[in-house]
Amino acid sequence: MIASQTGQPPLATLNWATQVYCLLLRGYPSAFRAEYGTQMAQLFRDCYGAEMKRGGRQRLALFWFRTLIDFIRTVPQEHLDNLGKENSRMKNSARDAVALFGCLGIIAVAFFLLRYGLKHETSAILMFGNVLDALVVTGLLGNLIVFLLVKTTRLDPVRVALWTFLILNGLPAIVLALVGSRIDPQFRTTATLVGYAASFLFWFGLHWVWSQTKGRVQPAS
Amino acid sequence: MGKTARKPEQPVEEFLPLTPAMFHILLALADRERHGYHIMQEVQERTEGKVRLGPGTLYGSIKRMLGAGWIEETEERPDPDMDDERRRYYRLTDFGYRIASAEADRLDRLVKSARVKKLLSKTQVSR
Repeated sequence: MIASQTGQPPLATLNWATQVYCLLLRGYPSAFRAEYGTQMAQLFRDCYGAEMKRGGRQRLALFWFRTLIDFIRTVPQEHLDNLGKENSRMKNSARDAVALFGCLGIIAVAFFLLRYGLKHETSAILMFGNVLDALVVTGLLGNLIVFLLVKTTRLDPVRVALWTFLILNGLPAIVLALVGSRIDPQFRTTATLVGYAASFLFWFGLHWVWSQTKGRVQPAS
Repeated sequence: MGKTARKPEQPVEEFLPLTPAMFHILLALADRERHGYHIMQEVQERTEGKVRLGPGTLYGSIKRMLGAGWIEETEERPDPDMDDERRRYYRLTDFGYRIASAEADRLDRLVKSARVKKLLSKTQVSR
């Protein structure tokens, strides 16, 4: 019999067994251990104490065996769970990086085309030049504003993008439509308006598509 | 009330079938709040010692069910004088109750099908 004469399990054996189980607990991910480690150790102690009261080395050996099986079965499960959370965090960062470099890439291409057009004095094909102008200017400024607002506030990214690009494209379009022809007789009002409209649709569309993709992939935690 | 996860709005059928451990835990919490050791004892008694939840299985399932909003931690203690303050008590949320009911219905339908196919009576006869 392992139980003492008073019916209480010997404290030293109980403490030793709990310490061994606490060592086993180190196999679980630290976040899980921090949240449930104490409870698990307490549960083990209660169960081990109960088994000791019932007595019998065979009973205790079976209890240890069951505990080890439980440990072997659940440790990989918890690590996989933890890994899943890490992966989703990594995926979100990777998507942010792709978005940032994608925007920079588009702006770089637009600059290159603009520079080529100016160098070779290429006349704008239809309204391409105006669209490109609007895309580059509002893209540079607008994306910077959206990026800063989204990262520093809790505002909805799509709404931020909508209002930023609406203001950034709408204001110059209205001002240029009103005063452009007075400053430059060759000013093309329609082309300018189409340019800013296309720029708004492009940049806001890009942000909207981006938000839809993000919404689908984010973990439902 | 302690830590409570968001209230899920998906249909309960999407979560079925449950793992045996999860269903046993939900069953144990169906009538009252319990702490980990109580849940374990209840399951063991109800299954006549055939199901024994280890600490890893129990708290792994509790973690997932807390995250999914099926159960919640409660600070109300049934008998504070007789109890260890370190213990955490859990209880079913409304959503958890609906999930447990849906799983019980599913199992009931399964047993009915088995009865129609005379599987149940065969087992009972052999006993």
